[in-house]
Amino acid sequence: MSDTDTLTRRRPPANPVERFAKSPLAGRIAFPLVCLLVWLVALEVVQSIWPFAVDVLPKPTQVLSFMWGEIKGETLAPYNMYETFGISLKRLGIGMAIAMVIGTVIGLGMGLSKSVNAFFNDWVVAILAMPNLAWALFCSLAFGFGDIGPIVTVVLTGVPFVIINVREGVRNAPLDLYDMGRAFGVSRGHIIRHVLIPSLMPFMFAAGRYAFALGWKGLVVAEVFGGEDGAGWTIKFWYDAHRAHGVIGYAMFFVIFALLFEKFMFDRLSRYFFRWRPEVNAADVVEERFDAPPPAVVTAGAVSHANTAAMESLNQVTAGPKSEREHGDDPRRHHDG
Amino acid sequence: MAEIKVRNLHKEFGVGEDKVVALEDVNLEIGGHVFVSIVGASGCGKSTLLNILSGIETPTNGQVTITQDDKPANAGYVFQAARLLPWRTVMDNLLFVQKDRSEATRARCQRYLEMVQLGDKGKKYPGELSGGMQQRVGIARAFSTEPDVLFMDEPFSHLDAITARSLRAELQSMWQETKKTVVFVTHDVGEAVELSNRILVFAKGGRMADDIDMPLPFPRDVSDPDVAVAKANVFKTFENIGALAVS
Repeated sequence: MSDTDTLTRRRPPANPVERFAKSPLAGRIAFPLVCLLVWLVALEVVQSIWPFAVDVLPKPTQVLSFMWGEIKGETLAPYNMYETFGISLKRLGIGMAIAMVIGTVIGLGMGLSKSVNAFFNDWVVAILAMPNLAWALFCSLAFGFGDIGPIVTVVLTGVPFVIINVREGVRNAPLDLYDMGRAFGVSRGHIIRHVLIPSLMPFMFAAGRYAFALGWKGLVVAEVFGGEDGAGWTIKFWYDAHRAHGVIGYAMFFVIFALLFEKFMFDRLSRYFFRWRPEVNAADVVEERFDAPPPAVVTAGAVSHANTAAMESLNQVTAGPKSEREHGDDPRRHHDG
Repeated sequence: MAEIKVRNLHKEFGVGEDKVVALEDVNLEIGGHVFVSIVGASGCGKSTLLNILSGIETPTNGQVTITQDDKPANAGYVFQAARLLPWRTVMDNLLFVQKDRSEATRARCQRYLEMVQLGDKGKKYPGELSGGMQQRVGIARAFSTEPDVLFMDEPFSHLDAITARSLRAELQSMWQETKKTVVFVTHDVGEAVELSNRILVFAKGGRMADDIDMPLPFPRDVSDPDVAVAKANVFKTFENIGALAVS
């Protein structure tokens, strides 16, 4: 390997243990293990101070056993885990769809018109500042028990994020690309489809992620107060039954569902829709800089690289621009050294 | 034959105390297989004139007509930055500005990509290409619509000297091959002398100060004494209009 390579390629870790320790997988595995350790230590500390807490604080094995029972469909609650999350996800899906549609329409209006923006702006900020709990209580009082209260809570929680993101997307619209389309006589419909909508996608995605995360939380709170089924209601069921392992077990199911959605829905959709983005990870670059060899070695390599590049450029000029050998501006060649 | 006629063109931006005159009483005629460069210092209205010619901006007063055999002409545009859709592949960027997506159109786009030596990059995204390659795609896109008139706004000003030189040579060869009418904006006098057979010199305040013929044969080499003399003459014009004075 040449000195130049050390500038652009990460130095391979010395041994497999170090390689594994530096891998993202190790980080992912370490986090739950650290959580488990903290849990066990906290349990010992609390029980040594308040011995009666043994009845209140569940052990990890109790929680896991409860979760395993739920996974097998064995439960003391009126609905099993699958029915419960099915009900909640249906409400979340309907609420998010409504929030995305309403938020996109209002956000587009606010981005395109100053008067529409002036009309909605203060109210959007006010709704954004309202806590989930307030919406949940209000919707429970207004709509009673059933689907409508939790769904409206999801809508009210998610819609300001969608509005603000879409408005910012429109404000950051690539005007230079619109002008390019107009200069070539491209139709308005074609420009909306191929320029406006794709340029809004990152903002829509951010909006969807926020609306999902906050809507999910709002939904549970609404189900606690105004539901007769669903995940929130079931957490309250275990709370009323004074079964801490049930409350924690359901909370963990809740987290697992959120992670699965993030990993298998948002991540995959994001990779598909934004496949055109160059894959540059800033964390990798920073780590690479820290791993780089001492400056003296780099300088020698860089000089040698610069000389090679200069000779290549001169050859390119003398051989003429249409020469077959001209690939000097292919960025991958620089990366490959 | 493509023909551009500009009559009493006037363009202002802003109102009241903020009013800025970008172009003042510009009159010109461009026709046939010519490569016309518009040179001038920053802020003299070069790009504004090009944007009005291409329909991106509207004039405050005056008239612009662009025709091809007495019918409205098609125009292509190469911008200062490549202005590619980052979410579309190179080939899709070319197809975006076409009237249809037929096989014949695809083949034509492929031919122009090959002319700029990017025939194998059709499936790449712009983010995977260097600045020089992206600008080549911009040039291929403009030529691929087979326009009657081609507008170019400082297309090489963002590139390094080596890449810019290489692209100038490619552009000149494509112009010779396709016989387009090209209107090229630049602040680089050397570039204008190397490429054009007519140079319009613009002064501050958006006035056209001179119209210089460049009858030297192509291809031109910057080291050629005749090219150096022509370049000196253009600078002389700038000196005469006071554009070289240090304020």
